[in-house]
Amino acid sequence: MSKSISRRQLLQWSGLSSASLLLNSCGSNLWSKEVGQAIEPLNQATQALLLTQKPVPEYSIDQIEPDKLLINTFAQTPQIDPAKYRLQIEGEVNHPMQLSLGDLQTLPLTSMVIQHVCVEGWAAIVQWGGVRLQELLRLAQPKPNARYVYFKSADGYYESWDLVSATHPQTLMAYQKNGQSLSADNGAPLRLASPIKLGYKQSKWVTQIMLTNQLMPKTGYWEDRGYEWFGGL
Amino acid sequence: MTSARPTKRTKSPRLPTQTLPAKIFHWTNLISLFVMLFSGLQIYNANPVFGGRSGWNFPDYLTLGGWLAGGRNWHFAAMWFYALNLLWYGLYVMVSRRWQIRYASGSDIKALRVSQNAKRKNYALHRLVYTAIIPILVLSIASGLGMYKPASLHWLASLFVDWQTLRTVHFIAVPIFILFTFVHSLLALRVGSIRLIKSMFV
Ligand code: HEM
Ligand code: HEM
Repeated sequence: MSKSISRRQLLQWSGLSSASLLLNSCGSNLWSKEVGQAIEPLNQATQALLLTQKPVPEYSIDQIEPDKLLINTFAQTPQIDPAKYRLQIEGEVNHPMQLSLGDLQTLPLTSMVIQHVCVEGWAAIVQWGGVRLQELLRLAQPKPNARYVYFKSADGYYESWDLVSATHPQTLMAYQKNGQSLSADNGAPLRLASPIKLGYKQSKWVTQIMLTNQLMPKTGYWEDRGYEWFGGL
Repeated sequence: MTSARPTKRTKSPRLPTQTLPAKIFHWTNLISLFVMLFSGLQIYNANPVFGGRSGWNFPDYLTLGGWLAGGRNWHFAAMWFYALNLLWYGLYVMVSRRWQIRYASGSDIKALRVSQNAKRKNYALHRLVYTAIIPILVLSIASGLGMYKPASLHWLASLFVDWQTLRTVHFIAVPIFILFTFVHSLLALRVGSIRLIKSMFV
């Protein structure tokens, strides 16, 4: 047990230091990890407190900013055959499921015009259309002990959310953007979209949704490199 | 008013001594403000407010945190010290009536306009300058919270029209605070020399 933890920490450290070497050769990141660890519980509790199931006010169609949504990807863009695509829902649910795009499109379509905010500092008003994650979970029926939702993507990206944010009425598994079907760059065939989380929480190319009753050591691609886990807006 | 003796009117303002709360506020404000400022510049560099990804970056020695996630860690830690410090001191200033005694009022404006006494005018200007910075301190919190929680605090963020305006307003505080620090320090020196500065810091 202790052996595996120390190996994990080692891996984490080496990942962190290479990431910071890459991003900043002049090491003024003195204490920034410790400061983050010290303040995270307070900031997370505050964010959870501010979170409600009330919908965030939306924008009108003519406020959409088509060229402001930048493309951020950590690896390459996967090309997925829509006919072969399946979304898996599993883990702490009573009805594990496998859905094709056709299945998803028969479920109620929700459209919203919201502000997408990236951790880098830019934002864009975007229209997203898709199925409420709430609706998918209603079908899969989470077990009472389910607390977290893991998302796995075709490019190897991974994310985890708290269940409350995942069941927010504006958290969608989207297949449309700005009135058109989603492009590969933006996460086709299916991606997460929500006004209540930062951009890095909104996985593209989602192929698997897994409910768990606790957070695993790996919480998300960017989180494991030092970004805040909750990432609420 | 009790009838003042004629000599009193022309007397220069008495050198103030600072209460302990004022000193604690001033130190905490100074330190947390500059942590906010330097970690803010780190955040700025991830995507410059002016020019986006192709915009100009601040040099590394002006940034705190090492990279975006580190800068955010510092920013969202120091914000508690910065904001709560301002809150408790604001309450203290109201309750203790320090607001009436130590901050700019109509009489300072009048002194600036009509007084022949250079010392009185300096003092009025000094008070005016440090009184005027308070709304800016509060504005930084409002615009910062608007960007931190644009969904939960949508009403607050929408007061600033749009995202770019919100970012610009938040950023403008940086040059204002730097300029203020110089002007305010110079005025303090002119009003009460190094003794006044010492009274606030030790
Ligand atoms: C409680 C108070 C504050 C909060 C909650 C706060 C919050 C934030 C947030 C969320 C960002 C990221 C914005 C983005 O993603 O673009 C930010 C950026 C920034 N902050 Fe603050 N801030 C506060 C006070 C301050 C103060 C006092 C300063 C110092 C002058 C400051 C300077 C900056 C700068 C320079 C940036 C980068 C601008 C940008 O990239 O948009 N902040 N702040
Ligand atoms: C940006 C940073 C600073 C801010 C926001 C700030 C703000 C203030 C405020 C609001 C007061 C009034 C306190 C009161 O009487 O209740 C004050 C007083 C004072 N500050 Fe600062 N200050 C800053 C930096 C400095 C610096 C760098 C110096 C000196 C080098 C300084 C010296 C003083 C002195 C001497 C007083 C007392 C003035 C008096 O009571 O007549 N401050 N400051």
